[in-house]
Amino acid sequence: MDAAALQAFLEASVRLGAPLALAALGETISERAGVINIGLEGSIIGGALGGALGALLTGSPGAGVLAGAMAGTAIAGVFALFAITLNADQIIVGTAVTLGGLGITGVVYQSVFGATGTALTLPTLPALPLPGLSALPALGPALFSQAWTTYLAYLLAPALWYYLFRTRWGLELRAVGEEPTAADAAGIRVRRTRVLAVLGAGFLAGIAGAHLALAHAGTFAEGMSAGRGFIAIAVVVLGRWNPLLVLLASLFFGAASALQFELQAVFANVPYQLLLAFPYLLTLAALAGWIGRSRAPAALARPWPPRSGE
Amino acid sequence: MSHSRIRRSVPALAAACFLGGLVVGCGGGENDSPDDALRVALLTSGPVSDAGWYAGAYEGLLLIEESLGAQVSHQQTRSPAEFDEAFFSYGSSGYDLVFAHGFEYQDAALRAGEEFPELTIVVSSGGRISDNVRSLIFRLEEGSYLAGMMAGGLTRSRVVGMVGGVAIPPAQGTFRAFEAGARSIDPDIEVLEAFIGSWDDVAAAREAATAQLNRGADVLVHNTDAASFGVFQAVREANGDENPVWAIGMNRDQNDVAPEVIAGSAAIDIPRAFLDVASRFTAGTLPPGALDLSLGEGVVDFIVNPEALGRIPADLLARIDEARVAIREGMLEVPRIEFLEEEPGGP
Repeated sequence: MDAAALQAFLEASVRLGAPLALAALGETISERAGVINIGLEGSIIGGALGGALGALLTGSPGAGVLAGAMAGTAIAGVFALFAITLNADQIIVGTAVTLGGLGITGVVYQSVFGATGTALTLPTLPALPLPGLSALPALGPALFSQAWTTYLAYLLAPALWYYLFRTRWGLELRAVGEEPTAADAAGIRVRRTRVLAVLGAGFLAGIAGAHLALAHAGTFAEGMSAGRGFIAIAVVVLGRWNPLLVLLASLFFGAASALQFELQAVFANVPYQLLLAFPYLLTLAALAGWIGRSRAPAALARPWPPRSGE
Repeated sequence: MSHSRIRRSVPALAAACFLGGLVVGCGGGENDSPDDALRVALLTSGPVSDAGWYAGAYEGLLLIEESLGAQVSHQQTRSPAEFDEAFFSYGSSGYDLVFAHGFEYQDAALRAGEEFPELTIVVSSGGRISDNVRSLIFRLEEGSYLAGMMAGGLTRSRVVGMVGGVAIPPAQGTFRAFEAGARSIDPDIEVLEAFIGSWDDVAAAREAATAQLNRGADVLVHNTDAASFGVFQAVREANGDENPVWAIGMNRDQNDVAPEVIAGSAAIDIPRAFLDVASRFTAGTLPPGALDLSLGEGVVDFIVNPEALGRIPADLLARIDEARVAIREGMLEVPRIEFLEEEPGGP
């Protein structure tokens, strides 16, 4: 691989990794509070459409990101209402929210842009090269010549790590995810903590969707989240529920996906399905070798207050 | 505490019904046609807002409604598990004709055909047929060959790229023909090929297109659905006055989807083909087995983007026109992949 190709590969890695990182960082907080939100996909596609519409209406991609974050939060709100306030099964509600999110964005998109669709040209988030850092060899332009939403992911990872492991609020949130009954006895409001964690995850997933539409694709299509919500959930496991490792795991997955496109060009005779599976195989291998030293929050996916017989 | 058990299931069910209902609800419009009206349904496995393969089918369904006064319905199936369900819903509610728009429906169509002998199913690009399961085969390879000639004539770098969704035979066929068309202009042209494993993943399509542009390709064709927007967007951003980069549309006339970069589209007139099938069905003249539609019938063609005409060399257009005539008259054989497994029985 020559220098230019390496450059292109690294840039593609960060482009593909950034939306995963944003969504996975949010999911990390939600899972640390004991809620597995598989409705994340719904928040991402909501954020993509919200971002596209917001940017088109205002002409400002920044306003689009905000609109996307709001849409993602609203969809997460539906999840929180059913899964936490009404204490329904998290997996069932999450599935419904994902399907509903994909459906409702389709309805809105078709009603605004016509049933047969068009390739929208959206006002896009430009790359903002950071002075100095973007001039570093090889990794500089890849890491530091990106849209600001990518930098948001870089900043959030250490900030969320500090919040989770060095602040009282972070300790309370983790207590809710490990021993909600004990946390409740200690005076922590379990449901409120969980609702806020889920809304925060929806907010970030919405930004991830807006990033996908406004910084990556530059357009919107129905179903363009294409399973990234589920990959983000796997990335949280790969990153062992630690925001710093989750960011690294997202970039690792992005790199594996980017490499796959390069490999398709080089190894024209290898079945492309094998190459497409490459990021997932790598993730499996990493999980198998790595995950032994970690465990999920003890109360993950458990309803609270506990139902009779559980 | 028995009431907490109820509390568990009711909200989950309500959420599933409420949100799930939206998905199904976005499907089709039923109207109040009289009971003896023709009832026609369309199944797609992707959104009809792709401005391409599925959009054309949806336009076809609306054309049938308008021209034949049929009662129509559309469902988008999201997974193969839903194929049988969808056929069952139409078969059991008295529909006459179901268009299952894609190769992926062929097995479920055979099962539904056995279960509902009164129902006629037409599978687009289907490879399997029975008494009441027909196949509608579009010889899109013929349009794609002409598109390849256009790409071969436009490229300056002598590298062209193809971005596909999933390597099913109908998609591979168009790519083989595209390759042959490009090489008929210049035998040494390098042809890049990538599949993204999805028909709708715009970001992945854009990334695959960018990877090909980085490798020097300056004309890109796609065979995807909504993901095509990602290819067009990558081309739009790479396009410059000094170094023009082109995209080529596929499946439907996509020239107006990104008019500033699309040179032309290898297109199927799906609405016309659907209306033709539905009209023959009502007249009782729908032939058994497979219906082959090609350049000869005017259903498949390569349509040059009128907005790009000024930037395309006249002699290239003339060569494409010559090849079109040659294909129509059977003088030029276009590579294709046969996927019909069973020839229709008897005349």
